[in-house]
Amino acid sequence: MKRLFLVATLLAFSTAAHAATSADAQAALASAEKVEAQAAGFGNRWVPAEAALKAARDAIAKQNWDEALVQANTARALAQRAVEQSQEQETLWRDAIIR
Amino acid sequence: MSLRNILLAVAALGLIGAGPEPQSGLAVAAADQKAFQAYFHDHFPKLPTADFGNGPYAVNAEMRKQWEEIMQFPPYDFALDEGKTEFETKFANGKSYADCFANGGIGVRQTYPRFDATTGEVVTLDLAINRCREANGEKPLAYQTGMMASITAYMAETSRDKPFDITIPDDPRAIAAYEAGKKYFYTRRGQLNFSCASCHVVAAGQRMRGDILAPAMGILAAFPIYRSDWGSMGTIDRRFTSCSSQMRSEPLKPQDSAYRNLEYFLSYMSNGVPITGPGTRP
Repeated sequence: MKRLFLVATLLAFSTAAHAATSADAQAALASAEKVEAQAAGFGNRWVPAEAALKAARDAIAKQNWDEALVQANTARALAQRAVEQSQEQETLWRDAIIR
Repeated sequence: MSLRNILLAVAALGLIGAGPEPQSGLAVAAADQKAFQAYFHDHFPKLPTADFGNGPYAVNAEMRKQWEEIMQFPPYDFALDEGKTEFETKFANGKSYADCFANGGIGVRQTYPRFDATTGEVVTLDLAINRCREANGEKPLAYQTGMMASITAYMAETSRDKPFDITIPDDPRAIAAYEAGKKYFYTRRGQLNFSCASCHVVAAGQRMRGDILAPAMGILAAFPIYRSDWGSMGTIDRRFTSCSSQMRSEPLKPQDSAYRNLEYFLSYMSNGVPITGPGTRP
């Protein structure tokens, strides 16, 4: 039991100690920008996705990789939802037409 | 079965398979307009067509009372004066706005936007004004407020009470522009997952927080408008971009083809509603 507790504690510390690197942040930003470009192709960039992208770029400029990673992942998730919304609307909009 | 009966059966099956004739693009647009206007007349049975251009003031008695008081001293008057002066001032080359428009630009607002067969795109009044300026060696104006709002205010005022008279020529590009505008109007976008129709069709006349939502029919008749919320004049572009932002969707650039097509669709849907611009809104 003692050993198990020790392993769990070490694991928890090792996770917390794993800070994002510049490469992590840059890769996350590139991934988010790619999805956001897809959303832009539909003319449907979401305001909070753009705000998160900007925050990620600002954090990278300040070399705050953890913050950059969080913001880039947020931007990617929001942009992905925008793309899905646009894809759904490609056909669904017709249901709303007044007939 | 005789050969004659077999042939008759085959012919009948062929007719069944053919189904109804597909409607042409123009027929679809005309049917859309009829259904659109019938929807709003059904929802606001006491409202005459002419009143649809007054937006929220037409559908809410309390707001109408306030509006009537505001109109004792219309807040857009300064823009009207400024726009008239600018409209009548000659460009450096000696020509003027009047040289660019039919009837010298007087009483033509209700015919915009229109489809330009030369360029194959929708031309709004605002775009036509800037094209006129550029053709005469002048710099284009910013689209959302300022002098553009003032000139369009003056031109709208010369069209007051003239019903929207938007035409869609029998040109596949014009029909495509109309369809694109229609799609934009009904498509949900932005983080709030709203379409133009969510507010201005489904919830027309109802409250959205402190605002009364204007019916889509005739919604552009009052533009440009002095909006108390803005504290200044604004064009249709200003309204479209602020609507986009409110839905948490990044606005397009003013006069983006998507916005121009949307204006084309909405104006065509409002044929018969008189111009009331310039207007005022909360």
